[in-house]
Amino acid sequence: MNGLQATFRGACAQAWANRRGFWFEITVMILNDLVWVVFWVLFFHRVGTVRGWNTNRILMLQAILTTGGGIVLGVFANARNIGRLAADGELDAALALPVPTLAYILVRKIQALNLGDTIFGVVLFVAIGHPSPSRVAMFLGGSAIAATVLTGFLVLIGSSSFFVGRNEGSELGFHAIVMFGSYPIDVFTGAGRAMLYSVVPAAFIAAVPARLVDSFDPGLAAGAAAAAVVFATLGVVAFNLGLRRYTSGNVWKL
Amino acid sequence: MNLRILRTAFGTATRRALREPGSFFVATGFYVAVVAMVGTLWRVAAASHHGTLAGYTAVGLFWYIAASESATMAISLRLVEEIGDDIVSGAIAVEMLRPVSVVAVRIAAEFGRAVPKLISCILAGTAVSLVVVGPPRNVGAALLSAISLVLAILCNIAAQHAFAGIAFWIRDARSTWFLYQKFVFVLGGMLLPIQILPTALEQIARALPFTAMAYAPARLAAGFFEPELLLVQSAWLVVLIGVAAATFQAGERRLQVVGG
Repeated sequence: MNGLQATFRGACAQAWANRRGFWFEITVMILNDLVWVVFWVLFFHRVGTVRGWNTNRILMLQAILTTGGGIVLGVFANARNIGRLAADGELDAALALPVPTLAYILVRKIQALNLGDTIFGVVLFVAIGHPSPSRVAMFLGGSAIAATVLTGFLVLIGSSSFFVGRNEGSELGFHAIVMFGSYPIDVFTGAGRAMLYSVVPAAFIAAVPARLVDSFDPGLAAGAAAAAVVFATLGVVAFNLGLRRYTSGNVWKL
Repeated sequence: MNLRILRTAFGTATRRALREPGSFFVATGFYVAVVAMVGTLWRVAAASHHGTLAGYTAVGLFWYIAASESATMAISLRLVEEIGDDIVSGAIAVEMLRPVSVVAVRIAAEFGRAVPKLISCILAGTAVSLVVVGPPRNVGAALLSAISLVLAILCNIAAQHAFAGIAFWIRDARSTWFLYQKFVFVLGGMLLPIQILPTALEQIARALPFTAMAYAPARLAAGFFEPELLLVQSAWLVVLIGVAAATFQAGERRLQVVGG
């Protein structure tokens, strides 16, 4: 077993240690996600269709978003904490280990609460997604793209702390991408819409993968895969460049 | 009741909030993004229904969202969790040594912390709304909305203390804020006007205190001149403060802290 596998097993054991709390948090998150489904059902029941979006499309978007987002925030929970860890000088222990630092940090912590998102997303897809082998494959591929883009984006904005110190930008970026990702993207036009495909790539963590499940388009799929590669690369490069500037007060508590 | 202590708690919390410009910037920036996003969604929805939806115009819906988001984003919705943690860890025991009600000081301090955020949300929300959809349909109602926002925040803070007080008995309030938050989002009318809900659910929402926390100021901001909403909010505020005080009074008698 290599170091990363052992670290991941340790993180799993830590999350599983309090089993009652583990299941409680998952249940709470599932109820939380269910409320969003209720909101969208009520909205489209009253409104009908908004720029091509209806109940089925928005629920597919929610299924992808919760599945991909749950993987990132649940399994790679530290993706959201990179900025804080860097600003507080809490990477010392990770630097001393014979494993890639970024990979170690990402698999070091599991957040049970967000695993509820993934469970919910999969169940929602099974319930409303008319699963067939091809649709299941697209759902899994789309969720993987969503998770990769979100992880890359969170690492990228978190790494800004290496350069400018503690800042609230990463928290704002996190909330922005999740919020923009959860709404029908076609509501936006012009520069706002362009931003959601580039600076804050919210389109790629939900709307685009959801569209691929409903109507596969090779060009769109290639674009989404390219976005995943680009943001993953940007995240890794920004983190490694930032690590060269990293300083701390010798803190050992990762 | 020693009002001087409450004033001090309020003032200290306000000054502390003003000295955290980073979180202030994030909160206001996020508020603007949310209003732009959700407001646009409702505006587009109204436009696809010949300009009105459940009696609300596109302009009114945008102002509705600006007000409802102000009411909820000016305070920490994780307050339930934070209070619960203080109860479970025993940190609250120190506060019980003061010659004044624990819950009263906490509500005063939270209100103090919320006021600067509320003012910045009102200013930012007004600016965004004016730019995107123009002035409110009824200026008088919009002005009442500002008073209603203060009552909404007080109701929300009191309700979160009442909700979190359960930690005295079950020793855990983690994650329950998610559920509380969703009550405010849907039954409180933060995400959507309660007139959009199915009739039965709308009646349930009207009977619950959550409408005092988001729907009331939002309805006024949307241009409906209904001053009676302020009376409803005031009544709920009295009830919620009473419930919070009773919960803490009963809970404090059960509290056992080891060490300290």
